[in-house]
Amino acid sequence: MRVAIAEDSVLLREGLARLLEDADFDVVGSSADADDLLLKVRSYVPDVAIVAIRLPPTHTDEGLRAALEIREQHPGVAVLVLSQYVEVGLALELLADSAEGVGYLLKDRIGDVDDFLGAVRRVAGGGSAVDPKIVSALIGRQRDDDPLASLTAREREVLELMATGSSNQGIADALVITLRSAEKYVSSIFGKLGLPSTGSESRRVLAVLTFLRT
Amino acid sequence: MLWALALTGVAVSAAAVALAYASDGLVDPGIRSALLVWVVLPYVLAGLVAWWRRPESRFGPLMVAVGFTIFLSGLQFSNAPLAYTFGMVFDILPSVLFLHVCLAFPGGRLELPEERWLVGAGYFAAVVLQIVKMLLGAGGPDNLIAIVTEPAVANTVEDVQLLSLAAICLAGIPLLLSPRRARTRPLPPWARLLVDSFALGLVSIALLFVAGSFGWESFQTIQRIAYIVIGLSPVAFAIGLLSARLARANLGDLLVELHADPTPEELPGLFARALRDPTLELAYWLPEFETWADLEGNPVELPDADSGRATTLIERDGTRLAALVHTGSLTDERELLDAVSAAAGIALENGRLHADLRARLLELRGSRQRVVEAGQEERKRLERNLHDGAQQRLVALSLDLRMLEKRLGDDPEARALVDQARSEIAMSLDELRDIARGLHPAVLTGYGLGVALESLVARAPLPVTLTVTVDGRLDEPVEVAAYYVVSESLANIGKHAQASTATVTAVRSDDELVVEIVDDGVGGADTEGGSGLRGLADRVEALDGRLRVWTPRGGGTRVRAELPCA
Repeated sequence: MRVAIAEDSVLLREGLARLLEDADFDVVGSSADADDLLLKVRSYVPDVAIVAIRLPPTHTDEGLRAALEIREQHPGVAVLVLSQYVEVGLALELLADSAEGVGYLLKDRIGDVDDFLGAVRRVAGGGSAVDPKIVSALIGRQRDDDPLASLTAREREVLELMATGSSNQGIADALVITLRSAEKYVSSIFGKLGLPSTGSESRRVLAVLTFLRT
Repeated sequence: MLWALALTGVAVSAAAVALAYASDGLVDPGIRSALLVWVVLPYVLAGLVAWWRRPESRFGPLMVAVGFTIFLSGLQFSNAPLAYTFGMVFDILPSVLFLHVCLAFPGGRLELPEERWLVGAGYFAAVVLQIVKMLLGAGGPDNLIAIVTEPAVANTVEDVQLLSLAAICLAGIPLLLSPRRARTRPLPPWARLLVDSFALGLVSIALLFVAGSFGWESFQTIQRIAYIVIGLSPVAFAIGLLSARLARANLGDLLVELHADPTPEELPGLFARALRDPTLELAYWLPEFETWADLEGNPVELPDADSGRATTLIERDGTRLAALVHTGSLTDERELLDAVSAAAGIALENGRLHADLRARLLELRGSRQRVVEAGQEERKRLERNLHDGAQQRLVALSLDLRMLEKRLGDDPEARALVDQARSEIAMSLDELRDIARGLHPAVLTGYGLGVALESLVARAPLPVTLTVTVDGRLDEPVEVAAYYVVSESLANIGKHAQASTATVTAVRSDDELVVEIVDDGVGGADTEGGSGLRGLADRVEALDGRLRVWTPRGGGTRVRAELPCA
């Protein structure tokens, strides 16, 4: 699997590259800024680009803009955005149109190597990855007549995993339950929240996020 | 001296009448003498008034000179050859003096080189050519200074003289009416009539000379019309002076109005009425700022000399107080300006204090804004340093620990230590994140208020309905202030309000961003004692905005910030 990285801290960029290479990823490009990343994406067409949001020169949103540009011009290249902060607004902006092949993770996640690599693989394969902290911020958001109140504790756990982009198998593995029970929970949640059930996992992410947003 | 001149004027007018009646060769002596008096007397008297009003100006003496030279030219009616010759010499001179008066109005000086050339050429034709003509025998046997008798040559000289003078008078009209002249010497408003009469006089003189040169039959009629027209100018002058006197009557009104303690805002209007200049402006001198300022304390520049606007400085007890900025033509009414300035002293003193206070407020607001902005810049820098430094290093460190963990093998104790270290790092990252966000909401810089408020509301400790109606980006200080108003208010609600829901709205109108946070809690919030509200008010007011809080006990709390944004 071919990866391009954009991160301006050398320490982190090198660490990330080493981590990915150890896991048999092919790091085809390693950039310190957004322009270089766009160049490398054009030249090497990686499976996934991992981009820090704040990149030189202004350290505001160069990375996110590059990510949106890659999404538009190279639909085949998945994008995983790394952020230092939990910014629900940004995550929603990135996922506004589609959650297919898109991820938004806190940089802290890199330390949980297995989860992180799993997220990279999932995004590269057209799935989604939404940082659990974003999801819990959204779920934890207070609502009038909270529809989430009708969910059981287990169903809430499943909902959170769904929103982060986990597949049914992923949910089953994470909660140590059978695939069938995972599927049962999912359809029960959809029923309770009145969401239309969809086939694709990434469309499921978008539906759940949109629901949680309001 | 002026009285003597006045009496002389009356005397010579009488002499002119006597002369005309005594003359042998004069038809219609009554009309002739009446015309002479119509011209001589008004010029002498009007000139004397002008002289008396403004002794330093040459305009008055010039007018008097016109009157007397017309009388001198009238001597040619005399039967005595000496007087006749004398009168002949002055025959043409009054017309050039008249041109001189026209072009020298109102200051009494010829300011432009072309004016000086024209008048100089006129004097040459009226004096030198006249004498040459007479030396050649023009004027018949009574001409005492004739050396030869060459009527043909004398006629040619006369034609040249009269036609060139006609041309000179006509050339004077565009100079008289030119805009350039109006710029260098702005006219008092009452003088329009006078200038028109000048122009009419010049036309009739030119016509008279042309008629004389070609020997038209209607010469006599034209001459009488010319006399009448020339006599109009002093009348116009008198009317003008009268209307200027009326202006002084306004001064009385001004005194009454000043006595009624006008507010500083009303002052310019009072002056504008008293001086009859609707464009009048008032500027105050602020000694500590060493600048002129308007009533609101904003610095203003006094106009340049050539802008058509003029400035009258007003002093009080030797210190500069204020300046009247008015149309240039008012400069000519020095006495009126002085009287107004003197009358307005105390009122202007009040106005100056007002302006001074406002200027200090403006400065204070500016410095408060700079302090808030400098603080914000510093916080932004710190956040940047945290983000690019400590936070990145900790993430990298956690990665390194992971690598280390893989090589540790199966030593459970070592693994437990590494695990603990990693969770310490995770906690440090969380804490750093909170600190960094408190320092500066980075998302605001990148994405603006809408996105930033979305994140903020998502973390709120109670259900919040968010409505943001803001198109595009605002100035960063405005966004930051709005963000902190919401963030601080939500934090206060979480700590004190015991509210069950809250709404946050941010609406941008043409020139204002209004941010409102309303909760349904217990109200009665502490708006003074060291709460965050004071700091918020500082931020908002530094941007010239307004922060208001309604917090009735038991009735919820409403915080409203109005932030100007262009």
